[in-house]
Amino acid sequence: MDFLALYVTLKLALVATAVLMVLAAPVAYFMAFSRFRGKSFVEALIYLPMALPPTVIGFYLIMLMGPKGFVGRVWETLTGGSLLFTFLGITIASIIYSIPFAVQPMKAAFQKIDPRLLDAASILGLSKMNAFLRVIIPNSLAGIAAAAVLVFLHSIGAFGVLLMVGGSIPGETRVISIAIYEAVETMNYSAAALMALSFIPVSFLFLLLVNKLNEGVRA
Amino acid sequence: MRKTFQVTIPLLLLMWVSPFPVHAQEKISVAVAANYIAAFQEIATDFEEKNGVKVEATFASTGSLYNQIKNGAPYDVFLAADEERPDLLQKEGWTDGTIIYARGKVILWSADQEFCKAATWRDALKNSRIKKIAIANPKTAPYGAASMVAVQKAGLEKSLQDKMVIAQTIAQSFQYASTQSVDAGFCALSAMSSPQGKEGCFYPVEEAPDIVQAACVAKNAKNKINAELFAAYLLCEDAAKIRKKYGYR
Repeated sequence: MDFLALYVTLKLALVATAVLMVLAAPVAYFMAFSRFRGKSFVEALIYLPMALPPTVIGFYLIMLMGPKGFVGRVWETLTGGSLLFTFLGITIASIIYSIPFAVQPMKAAFQKIDPRLLDAASILGLSKMNAFLRVIIPNSLAGIAAAAVLVFLHSIGAFGVLLMVGGSIPGETRVISIAIYEAVETMNYSAAALMALSFIPVSFLFLLLVNKLNEGVRA
Repeated sequence: MRKTFQVTIPLLLLMWVSPFPVHAQEKISVAVAANYIAAFQEIATDFEEKNGVKVEATFASTGSLYNQIKNGAPYDVFLAADEERPDLLQKEGWTDGTIIYARGKVILWSADQEFCKAATWRDALKNSRIKKIAIANPKTAPYGAASMVAVQKAGLEKSLQDKMVIAQTIAQSFQYASTQSVDAGFCALSAMSSPQGKEGCFYPVEEAPDIVQAACVAKNAKNKINAELFAAYLLCEDAAKIRKKYGYR
């Protein structure tokens, strides 16, 4: 059992989930309540990571974050280091990879809120920002939690993107899914079996949790 | 929601400020060509015991490790499976010089003892029962490139074209053969030192050139003294003994 990889995996999933939830909430709000021309184009663009092969996302991230890419160059002049093959690099990759899984369920949860609540908030003089923080968020907690769990699970399970952007550096970018792949490749089957087996109950329990939370939304 | 934050944020902070215990120790980060995994693990353990410096290894094909280094991967030492990539890195200013740390050989390995009853590996491959043969990607794996040279020299390129299964590394080629996903695979002689390797049989592939494996230390290694120490250790008698055990010269 590669505990260092387990640690990196959990850290990655936690950080990616926390950051993505904060970033995705306003986007989900925008997608749920605003109408504008070309909205379906923007929406499709946001959901694109779900439909693309991880290798495509990985390729573009390497182009962007590599020493010749725009982001990579800016990062290098600021910090003197590389963004690829670092924990920060795979965190960014995980966030981009999981965007649809954060935006979609949150948007659905926001849309289920009784519009009369929002009307009341607006009549009582609450600004849009305050209505978002004090009416929408508290009334869609179950949906937000479900989104968070999905993002967390998706980050734990990521493989191809992380392998391309992060390689497999112990303590930095080697996550459990990559450790399992390497264990299989080097025919260390007992280690692979143990790590693989540990995934199943965890993923199962979290999915049960998502179902429970979604039932809460429906009720 | 507030409760979730009350739990998550301290947890995140805790993870941030308290890195995993291994960081306390001196360590070097080494990129290792996949054929060398088994020998390297023993060599690294021996080095760790003697010098108290932790060795963190990343295994992949030589080509993909080279690519990672070009893209800024922070390895201190690179153990390639060829001379070409370390030489390129020297030209590009990543390293000051290269050393040759091992010489390897290509074999054709099969889990099926029947397979090895032919006179040569060429005859064995001509058998119609052989449907799939694993070979490491010649573009990224030097062992794959050497295997391909042998196939071409033997004039088998055309007849094997549809039977070849491309593995990402030479270690994966052996994994395909060992799990019998394929009937036989071009592997490194070092595969024979593993328990799985001993369960099968092999032909030496004389047509494949010897694999000269070179290593180099990063000019900007974070821990240059220990990185140099490790490179020197690769050439010492203790490392040579381990190397021989795994079928390298």
